[in-house]
Parts: sequence; structure tokens; C-alpha cells
Amino acid sequence: MSLKNKLNRLKPFLGTEQPKKETIKSSSLHNETEIPFQSEWEKAGFFPFYFDQTYCLVREKRYPLHARHGTYTLNEFIDAVEAWNQTDINHPLSSAGHKPSDLFFFDTETTGLGGGAGNTIFLLGHASIAGDEVIVKQHVLPHPGAEVALYQSFLTSVDYTTMVTYNGKAFDWPQVKTRHTLIRDQVPKLPPFGHFDLYHGARRIWKHQLERMKLSIVEKEILGVQRQDDIPGYLAPMIYYDFLESKNPEGMLGIIRHNEIDILSLISLYTHISFQLLQFEREQTAKAAYETGRWYAALGETAAAELAFKKLLKGNEPEKFKAKYELAKQYKKNGNVNKALSLWKEVAEYGEPKQMFAACIEIAKFYEHKEKDYTEASKYAYKANRLLSAKQQFPIPNNENIQKRLDRLEAKLSKEQLILISMDKK
Amino acid sequence: MKLKKSLQDILKDLNSSSQFNENIVHWKTIEEKEAKTTHLPDDLHPSLQKALQERGISNLYTHQKSAYDAVMQGRSIVAVTPTASGKTLCYNLPVLQTIINDSNARALYMFPTKALAQDQKTEINELIAGTGLNINSYTYDGDTSPGIRQKVRKAGHVVITNPDMLHSAILPHHTKWVSLFENLKYVVIDELHIYRGVFGSHVANVIRRLKRICRFYGSDPIFICTSATIANPQELAEELTENKVKLIDNNGAPSGKKHFVFYNPPVVNIPLNIRRSATLEVRKLAGTLLKNKIQTIVFARSRVRVEILLTYLQELVKHKLGPKAIRGYRGGYLPTERREIEKGLRSGDIYGVVSTNALELGVDIGQLQVCIMTGYPGSIASSWQQAGRAGRRHEESLVIMVASSSPLDQFVISNPDYFFSKSPETARIHANNLVILIDHMKCAAFELPFKLGDTFGSFEADEVLDYLAEERVLHQNGDKYYWMNDAFPAHNVSLRSASQENVVIIDQSDIANVRVIGEMDRFSAMTLLHDEAIYLHQGRQFQVELLDWEEKKAFVREVNADYFTDANLAVELKVLEQDKSRSGGYGEIGYGDVSVRAMATIFKKIKFETHENIGSGPITLPEEELHTNATWISLQENLFQSDQNRLEQSLIGLSHAIKHIVPLFVMCDPQDVHVVPEVKATHNQLPVIFFYDRYPGGVGLSEKIFDNIEQIMNETKGLITRCQCESGCPSCIGMDITSSSAKKDVFTLINSIHTGEKYES
Repeated sequence: MSLKNKLNRLKPFLGTEQPKKETIKSSSLHNETEIPFQSEWEKAGFFPFYFDQTYCLVREKRYPLHARHGTYTLNEFIDAVEAWNQTDINHPLSSAGHKPSDLFFFDTETTGLGGGAGNTIFLLGHASIAGDEVIVKQHVLPHPGAEVALYQSFLTSVDYTTMVTYNGKAFDWPQVKTRHTLIRDQVPKLPPFGHFDLYHGARRIWKHQLERMKLSIVEKEILGVQRQDDIPGYLAPMIYYDFLESKNPEGMLGIIRHNEIDILSLISLYTHISFQLLQFEREQTAKAAYETGRWYAALGETAAAELAFKKLLKGNEPEKFKAKYELAKQYKKNGNVNKALSLWKEVAEYGEPKQMFAACIEIAKFYEHKEKDYTEASKYAYKANRLLSAKQQFPIPNNENIQKRLDRLEAKLSKEQLILISMDKK
Repeated sequence: MKLKKSLQDILKDLNSSSQFNENIVHWKTIEEKEAKTTHLPDDLHPSLQKALQERGISNLYTHQKSAYDAVMQGRSIVAVTPTASGKTLCYNLPVLQTIINDSNARALYMFPTKALAQDQKTEINELIAGTGLNINSYTYDGDTSPGIRQKVRKAGHVVITNPDMLHSAILPHHTKWVSLFENLKYVVIDELHIYRGVFGSHVANVIRRLKRICRFYGSDPIFICTSATIANPQELAEELTENKVKLIDNNGAPSGKKHFVFYNPPVVNIPLNIRRSATLEVRKLAGTLLKNKIQTIVFARSRVRVEILLTYLQELVKHKLGPKAIRGYRGGYLPTERREIEKGLRSGDIYGVVSTNALELGVDIGQLQVCIMTGYPGSIASSWQQAGRAGRRHEESLVIMVASSSPLDQFVISNPDYFFSKSPETARIHANNLVILIDHMKCAAFELPFKLGDTFGSFEADEVLDYLAEERVLHQNGDKYYWMNDAFPAHNVSLRSASQENVVIIDQSDIANVRVIGEMDRFSAMTLLHDEAIYLHQGRQFQVELLDWEEKKAFVREVNADYFTDANLAVELKVLEQDKSRSGGYGEIGYGDVSVRAMATIFKKIKFETHENIGSGPITLPEEELHTNATWISLQENLFQSDQNRLEQSLIGLSHAIKHIVPLFVMCDPQDVHVVPEVKATHNQLPVIFFYDRYPGGVGLSEKIFDNIEQIMNETKGLITRCQCESGCPSCIGMDITSSSAKKDVFTLINSIHTGEKYES
């Protein structure tokens, strides 16, 4: 039986069935000097970049610094970098030591949604500051055989020290490395870059506020960016396959626009996160201030953490007592136990159950180990225990074994009693 | 109190006591064998020599030396090694020697299971530690923590993994493994014989992908395979790796004297020829041994059997030896638990191990004195693997095979010559099965684009590439084909499932703990998992509450019923194209492509014991179609004076017997090949018996049957002749046939095939 026949007979088992469309057979060998739909591309601002008998399409777009993207103007990014350069605070997203033009904002679009060697990048976009403008440059892969031109074009136009991405550490950059490996003998080496991945920062600050951490949601909810007729990123692979067959750039221009907004949003997002961290954000939400404080606390930047928490003490937000608890933690760390104790006592009285519980335990520890006042210690330990038995449910912090603590305190108390009694007898 | 008996005393007992000797149908003594050794290779690096000597190795067995020499000359090899013959040195020595001389060199070890990989890591690391050199060997599997993965990819000299991981995690991400693929000198394939049938055909394609990626990075690794004894190790290795492979079979490991005893439980019901349960006989035998503190390993074919036997035996010797003296062993045990068992065996705290065939593979738990098999393990090759568990190097050992009532067991037990003289089964793969091949060509295209005129292994790819481009899976650009799909193809391909789309069996007996208890291919699910079917799982009864055919899910609940269900499957076979034919003394034999259409029609509820029909119901499932390869044998039309009923009955009976004989000739499970009789086949209007591969497109099993049909028919005839039942029993032609002349009729039928003469009765 011929192979073709067998293939057709076995078709239900091959898992290759796709909805049938009119197949336009791509002409087997392109004349690479002739670019399909060239005038449409040029109308959209794309021009070919030729290399090694093939080409990719490149567009450079300039925005003045006073242009506004959401709530920020691009100018404010320069303020953010300057602010980092003037503060003593250390932070992984700090651009201290950099000029604004050292950073480049980077995003890709790919033919698949996961990783792996076969997931091709068909659009590389990046932006950076040059003089009084922001330049957005995008490189489009016209067909999968043109990757050498694509990477040549990209690598000869990036000359910066640090890239800024959204989830680029886990996705975009490894994918660039993967595709680059496949053609590494024909293109320049990938230069080493510093890397600010804003995804993790955004997650830390806003995870309690936003249901999902997609860039498009963050920019809409936090940065006030309104996209019009945006094509969602997950359609990118389909649109690209369509383009490969029809060669018509119409659908691609939608994806290109999407990518461009993503990149501009990265600039605003970096600005915004920096302002949050440096605490000169005009209208910082209590939640964001609290999470920033916790971030600093986790980094061991005590002074910055205290500053963030103190901002919340006066207000009347639900974060107030959470912040008091966190602040007390910082005080305790610095050996300032008395300041911590008064904050704990406030939290133990008015906080939310989880913090109340934790504060009671801290107070109980303080009285038991520092003051040897077992009566006072057990008062708070019992209070913590009552919180547990109450209906409200919360995760128990630090694997606290409250029963053990209570038993121990009881034992110490009765031992004390015995001593007292025996002293009385004497 | 009686004195403790030694193994020698027990051997005498077996021979003389009527309790046992009446059931012993064959006793074979295999004489001891001296070690054949040779000095360590002269060029072996001093640090390796030192490491070996520290482990008490100052000579190599002949096969180890041959393996070393061949590999160092740059030849791919397959070393055939019985259990406990030091096979790991066959690859560890040349690999480490090469890495010592060139620290850039890399080796990839592939083991069929994670447990084996862990074992081997420990083994090679001990050897490396002995050399005092800085050589990194790591396992890379689903358990490898993300923190260490980076290190394994960049700096692992020896990467130890399994084929599934290679397929779905390493090859599709090859750009992260540049230093491995650029410098890959050796690929070690341990337990080669496991790679047969569907699994082997998949793995052959994974290796094609591996070689393709190696070529891209400029390496051309040598393959070092080790295999248990099968009939065609070299052929299998060459088909799997598509390299020329040298066979190393000069085993030089010593072995002690071994007694191999065939034990057939007594008949308890003469008309039905039902024998006493093998499990109960094993309990008696193992109990006797264990009470005398003779270290024994018992193999059983299923996990349930293992558990039943374990409970029996622990109960039996609880007071004498303590509860921990007998341990179970199933798949999924951690290395630490195995170490504990191994240690217990050595120290004498543990006397018995009851195991599934998980211990057939090279996992080392040390050697015992006696091995008992509960039933024939299914193939000659695995019987020898299991038998190898008994017998320390210089001591006498005993192997007892206790037969069950199945036709295959009864065939083997009554044909000891066959068992001892025949070379074990042939392992077959069919790497070019289109269903499997195309799955892997998709994965391969994802990994690296194809070029017009490329081959995929030895397969010329153009036509398939064209097809995939037409189906819009690949995109043709110039003379290259690119992966153009947003899916990650390897995730949709499982190397181990026999069918692409299986029905998942979901137990919802406990609402709070709904769980998947198994899966089944679509074809079998039609008759075993239809609504209201009673499904047996590990000895427990479940009733199917709903079969969701669209979603391929069967929801079951545990029940306690006094009946089982039996569904009718209307099967229609159509010969699409005959590729080969010949006429032997057996009538017309054909081989080719067939279409199998099957539709489940009704099911019956049948009471246990009485076999009364106590109800029935319809099955409403769509017809399923399967395209595969088949061998068929055509008979004459006028048999039984054209009494259709008798003809049909005897065809069914004959097929039942044949089905159990087939695995003897083709290394496969009984369900891998279906045997279907048709009274009047559509293509030639004659009575025909079909043998078809269960897997779409076929994996080469029925082709092997085509070559051996005479032998299969002869052996089937022998099986039925020798069976002591009166008119058919489960050990020969099955119980489906009701007529009292059934056995005679089947005999008539097979005789007619044999002589090729018309039969008049």
C-alpha cells in the first residue's frame, strides 16, 4: 500500500486533523528581494533589513518625552532613575549607577505559548531613551527562514547595559537564548545584560489587589492605560500562521501595536514601581504601601521598611494594625523591644485575628522569657488560644504550638506556686 | 523441636515426600560454572584501577573486558548479561576512562525506570569516589529539583535519565543542553529488552530524534546497550539505534549449581480439569522454606497476588521469625527502602521477599537461595530474569515454577524441553509504524526544522513532511519545513500507552476521595467499561455508573455483586491490501493491512459459579474502527458438512487456545495480539482466523506470526492434545463453548488445517 494511502487511512489516529482551508501553497523558493505587500508594510513604517540573502522588517517610532502613557509621562521615567541615584536605599530594581538611556525595555511575541526549542520568536520589540525622545524599535520575522536577519538586526541595534521586561527572566530571554543557539554560528554573540524583571515586583505589590498579574491588567488597573481594539496576546500565534499563508500584514499590525503598547507600559510600570518603592508616590494605596514595606523588610532594608509602615500608622485603613505588627517586628530585630511591646499590645487589642494571635504570642514570649512574668505571659497565651477556638479561621503563623506553650507556662506557674508555698512554710 | 533443615534437606524432601513429588513434573539441574576472567586492561587509568581494587576487583570477567575493548575501539555494542554478572562495568569502565582522558566528554545513561536510574547513580558515584577524581554524574528526572537542573545541564559528565524524560524534557529543550550534545560520546541503554512492542517503537523514534540533535551539534555518540537474554539482542539493538552494533555474549560470570523445578498443582476437579490454586501451593512451598530460615524470593504476577501471599506468609511464620522477616516489594519503592531490604537479607534479619516483576529489572537487592514463581511469568526471558534472583555465586540454589491453570502456563509446564531448549522470545519493534513515527516527526520538527530530502533515522521523510504541511502542522518555506503550531508536541505523546486515547477509570466510591484507578484502551473499554459493566480491579469489584465516551471517562463505584458481565463485541475485519501470502501445509496464509470495525452490542450478567445468565442489557456505543496489520489463515469451506454452528464453535475454541500460545513466539502480552475467527470472511468467503496487532498501524507482531504460523498451530494442537479435560476447559479451548463435542470438533478443525484435506464426518 502506498504511503499516501496509509496516511489517509490512519488519519483519525494521527491527531493531525485541522479544519480544512483553501491551501495557498507558498511558492517554494522566495525571491528575497521581492517583499510581498511591501507598500502596506511601508505605509505602516516598516522597512526591510537585508542580511545574508534574506531580510526582516524593521520599524523605528519616536515619541517625545512629554507624551503621556496612562497616568505618567515618559519624562517621569527620567525622574525615577534620578531618584534611585540619589537615595541610599538598596533594591534589586534600583537603577542607581545608571543613566536613563542605559535601560532598554524589551518584549517579544512568539509562535507558541510555552517554552521549548520549537517556539519561534516572530517579533522583537524594544524601547529606550535617546535625547528628548523615546525610540521604539520593532523587528518582524517575515517567514521562519529569516531568523538570521532578525537577530542580526536586533543585535546590531541594541547597545545598552540593562534590559527591563515583564516576566522576561522566565520567558522572553530564555526563548531568545534558545533561538539564538540554533543560529549562533551565523550571528553575533548575545551580549550579557543586567535584567530588571518587573513581573515579580508587580506581583509583590499588587497580588492582593489584582486577580491576575498579566501586564494588560496591571496597566489598566494601576497605570490607567486604556487600550483600544487591542488584540489579546494569546491570539498572536494564530495571527502569525495566518500571515505566513496570506502574507498580508493586516492582522500582524494589530499584534505589532499590542507589542508596542506593552513596551511603553513597561516604561510607565518601571516609573510607577520606583515611585512606590521610593515612597514619593502621590496617592499610594494603603495596600501598596504595606506590601512595599514588607518587600523592604524581606530585603533587610530596615530603615526603608520602617518608613513605609509608619506612613500607615496615622490612617484608618485595615492595613494600620498589620503595619503596626510589621513595624514591631522591625523594632524587635533592632533590639528595641519596648517600642515593639507597645505596638504588639495595640495589635493584640484591635488588630485582625491573624495579627492579634501573632502579637499575643510575641507578648507571651516577651513576658515568659524576658520578664519571667508567667502570669502575664499566660494571660496572653490564653488570649491567643481563645482566638484559635473562635470561629474565625486563619493560618497559624510560625508553626506555633499553642498547647505546648500553655502547658509549659502552667508548669512554670505551679512550680512558682510551690516555691511560694514552701517559702511561706519556712 | 525439629532441627532446622538446610536447602539440601529440602531438596531431598521435594524429591521423596509424596506431598510434593507427585506434583513435580520436571526437575532440571544446571551445573555450576567457573568464572572466566582476564586481567584489567593495560591502558586503564591508574585511578580507575585503584578504585576497582578498593572494591575487590582485580580481574574482569571476559564479557566485561570484551565490552571495554570494543567500546574503546569506537564500536557500539550490546552486552547480553544474566542477572548479577556485573553488567554495569561493561559501560561504566569505558565511560569513566574516556571522561578521565577528556574532561569535556559526556555520556547519557537511559534506564527504563526512575528507580533503576537512582540505583545506578549510587553505583557509579561509588566508583567515581574511589578514583578521587572530579567527575559529575547526576540523575535528571521528574524529581530533580529546579535548583540543580542548571548544573546538570552544564556540568554533568554523566546524565542519568529515562526515555520519557529524554522525550519530553531534554530533547525539546536541547538548546539548554548544548554542552551535553556537543560532547556526547556515549549513550548507554540499559535493559534493552524492555524496549519492544509499542514502547520500543516509540523509543526507537526518540533515539532518531536524539541522533538528529547530536548531528546538529556535531557529535556522533556510540551506543552501549545491555540486555537480558532474548533471541535477538543484536537485531533489536540495531533496529533501536540504527547503528551497527557488536554483540558481546561471552559471559564470564560464575554461577552455582541450580535446580529448576516445574511444579503443577494437583487437579481438584477432573471433568473441568481445574487445578488447585497456584497461590495456595506457593504458600505451602514458601512456608516450608521460610520456616527453615531459607532465604526465598517469591514472584507473583500482580500486586494483589503479592499482597495476598505476603499476608499468608507473614501469618505463617509470625511467631517463628517475627513480622519483619518477610517483606513485600512492588514498583515505586524508594532506594532507601531497598537498601534496608538488602541489608536485612545480608544480615539474616529478612528471610523472604514477595515481589511483582518490578524486581525483574536490574534493581539490586542481593541474591537469595530460592526463587518461587507463582505462575509462568509470561515469557522465557523474564523467567530466566526471575530465576537469576536465586543463587549466590558459589552456592547451590533452587528455582520452582508453580503453574496456574492458564493455557500458557499449562503449555510451558508440560513442555520442559521447549522451555529449556528454545532460545527465548524475539523482541520486535516497528519504528516506522506511521502513527508512532508521525508523532515523533512532529516532535522532531519542533526541535529542529526538516529539510527537503532529509531522512528521519532510516526513514525517508519527504512524503510525511508533505502530508504534515498539507495538514498545517508544518510550514513549508523554501526547502525547509518548520513547526508551526502553538502546541508543545511532546506533551501529547506518551511513550508507554498502547493507544493514543485511553479511557480513564475514575473511582467515586468515596465522594471525598474521587481518584483515578486505571486506564484502558478504547477498544477494550467498549466491552469492559460500558454502563453497568462489572469491572474487576486488583481483585475488587466495581460497577460502571457512567461511561462518558466523548470525554473518555468511566465513573465506577465499588460494589459487591455475585455476578460478572460479559459483553458481545461484533467485530468485522476487512482485508484492505494483502502484502504477502504463501500456502503452507496449513492452507492459505496472508499478511497485510486490515480494517477492524468493532461494535459492542449487548451484555449479559452471569452468575459466579453456576454461570447462569441472570439478565442482560443493550450497549449503545458508536462503532470503532482500527487500521492495523494482520496475518490470517484461511480454511476450507465445507467443514462439518457446512454445519455453521459447529464450525463457529470450534473456531472460537481454537482461537482461545491459539491466543495463549502466540506470546510464546512473539515477545508481547496476550492482549497485544487479538485472535479473531470468522466463519465467512468478507474477502474470500472462507472460514478465516485473523491475528491482528492491537495498535493502530501495527508494531510488527502479526508479521512475526506470519513467519511462524506452522509452529504456532503445531504447538496449539499439542496443547489441546495434552490437556486432560474431557470436553474443554480454561486451560485449552475455554469455557465459552457449550456443546459436549466441542473439544473433538476443535481437534477435527486443527487436523483439517494440518493435513489440508477435506474433512467429512
